[in-house]
Amino acid sequence: MQNIIDVQGLKKEFKSFSSRSGLKGAFRDLFTRNYTIKTAVDDISFTIKKGEMVGYIGENGAGKSTSIKMLTGILTPTDGKIVVNGMNPHKEREKFVKTIGVVFGQRSQLWWDIAVQESFRLLKKIYNVPDQQYEEHMKDVIETLDIGPLLDKPVRKLSLGQRMRCELAAALIHNPPLLFLDEPTIGLDVLVKLKIREFLKRINEKYGTTILLTTHDLSDIEALCERVVMLDEGKIIYDGPLKELRENWAEGKQIQFQFSEEATLEELQHLTQEHLVVWEKGESDLVWVASVEAEETVISGVIGKVTAAKKIADLKILEISTEEIIRNIYVEGAVRHG
Amino acid sequence: MEYISIFFQYVGQYLKTRLTYRADMIVEIFSDLLFQAVNLVFILVVFGHTNLLAGWSKDEMIFIYGFFLVPFSIFASFFNIWDFTDRYIVKGEMDRILTRPVHSLFQIVLERMELESLFGVVTGLVVMFYAGDKLGLEISWYDPFIFILLVIGGALVYAGIFIALATIGFWSDSRTDIMPMMYNIGNYGRYPVDIYNKVIKYVLTWILPFAFVGVYPSSYFLKREEWYTYAFLTPVVGLVFFLIAVTLWNVGVTKYRGAGN
Ligand SMILES: Nc1ncnc2c1ncn2[C@@H]1O[C@H](COP(=O)(O)OP(=O)(O)OP(=O)(O)O)[C@@H](O)[C@H]1O
Ligand SMILES: [Mg+2]
Repeated sequence: MQNIIDVQGLKKEFKSFSSRSGLKGAFRDLFTRNYTIKTAVDDISFTIKKGEMVGYIGENGAGKSTSIKMLTGILTPTDGKIVVNGMNPHKEREKFVKTIGVVFGQRSQLWWDIAVQESFRLLKKIYNVPDQQYEEHMKDVIETLDIGPLLDKPVRKLSLGQRMRCELAAALIHNPPLLFLDEPTIGLDVLVKLKIREFLKRINEKYGTTILLTTHDLSDIEALCERVVMLDEGKIIYDGPLKELRENWAEGKQIQFQFSEEATLEELQHLTQEHLVVWEKGESDLVWVASVEAEETVISGVIGKVTAAKKIADLKILEISTEEIIRNIYVEGAVRHG
Repeated sequence: MEYISIFFQYVGQYLKTRLTYRADMIVEIFSDLLFQAVNLVFILVVFGHTNLLAGWSKDEMIFIYGFFLVPFSIFASFFNIWDFTDRYIVKGEMDRILTRPVHSLFQIVLERMELESLFGVVTGLVVMFYAGDKLGLEISWYDPFIFILLVIGGALVYAGIFIALATIGFWSDSRTDIMPMMYNIGNYGRYPVDIYNKVIKYVLTWILPFAFVGVYPSSYFLKREEWYTYAFLTPVVGLVFFLIAVTLWNVGVTKYRGAGN
């Protein structure tokens, strides 16, 4: 299949000037200014195929927004090659942006003072969308996002969740084959999040829309994306299936025992000495957590030994969450490949 | 042309919004009128007792002021870009503009237009007819066409200078007072340039060619033949300055850094 996005050696540096102190410093600033170079995106390469939904993740300041701004033609790269939808985004900007949709969760794309449908009408004109196509497509979008009742309200009177759904609809007026979403679910409640996820899934299935999204909410990624690209300090540290990331990192399982009687570390270690187990005390004196290898014989062996010797009130097997995996990766700073 | 139809869509939207806030609109038109009246009184007071200044009569001065108002009002209606750096660069609004398939400057013109200012065109015409009548000026059939051409030229001069200044924002977003200063310098264009010394005259003709918004084009209607060359250069100067400004703008856009959220 063809590549919708092809990025090679992409780099963005920001020069920031600092001023010297004092009068003498100010005078020297007139001639030579001190500056530091911040490399926000550092030599990244990746490709995205048609119809993919890719999660673009990383800590604050990792360079996600900067990459997206280069991919959408807003910023000019310092170095590297970008081909998106067969075009160079910032060179053929006006022609290019007709083929993409963009949503920035932190910033409104709509006109503040006018009613939502007036915004839509202006955008329809700007994108030169034929009436018939607009009617057909937008009717569906408005229905799915459930924004019909909001259409005659000015944007400034909408709640964040309402606005966000309108923003999404606005980004889709020209039914673009490629959608960039920068933190589309920031600050939204669970119900709105679910609605938005459902909607994205739907347009991906229905129109084969390719979607690249950044988020700090990993459940978004789990719900939508098979593939993640992980960024750290401007570099890609992982690019692959979410599943693989989980498998390679979530090697262990945790078994949480709640005992009805007091237990000691020595006692528990003695009980499970034939397995490799790390015992840790849980929230109370009666709760103990055993970290073990994710292997059936070990898990059932440990449970069998412990329950045979001691009375328990409750038992849980905990999976390590994606959240935790990602946190571990950030801490270690690189990804082990399995 | 697609841009023309987009333009009218925006104008329609603008009028619709404005009509719902009718009171605001009336206040704005009224304050514009008041501002123009103050300027006119200023001219009358300063030149009232001198009757002749460097060979220009009071009525000629008033005529020039009237003419100046026309291109200036058109400029003021469509090129509200004095706060461009703050609004679009520092606040990062340019991001939104750049994700849309229409030239960025054109979008800003559309978003920021203030059609009330067009009322100044009417004031200008009234002032011109009043002064022209006193001066006994005659109008030929082709004069309206020349008028339109010269007005467009003048408006382009203004637009060119202010667009060029706005593009500074793409390189540096530090606060400067250059915009208000330039509005003041612009006012010099509505007095005859030969009342100034050589350097100022040169600057107002070739560097910051505000003289092409007032005196030079007016001299055509005032039948001041010694200035005819300049009068007819107006559209050329306007076009050249405007094109230079747009080129600078296009380069500036590639330097846009965005606001780091
Ligand atoms: N316009 C700018 N000028 C200077 N530095 C910038 C600019 N924009 C971004 N940066 C810097 O580049 C780095 C990457 O920023 P970016 O906004 O891409 O991060 P991000 O991954 O989107 O973070 P977040 O999750 O907080 O949105 C940061 O260190 C930031 O300070
Ligand atoms: Mg960001």
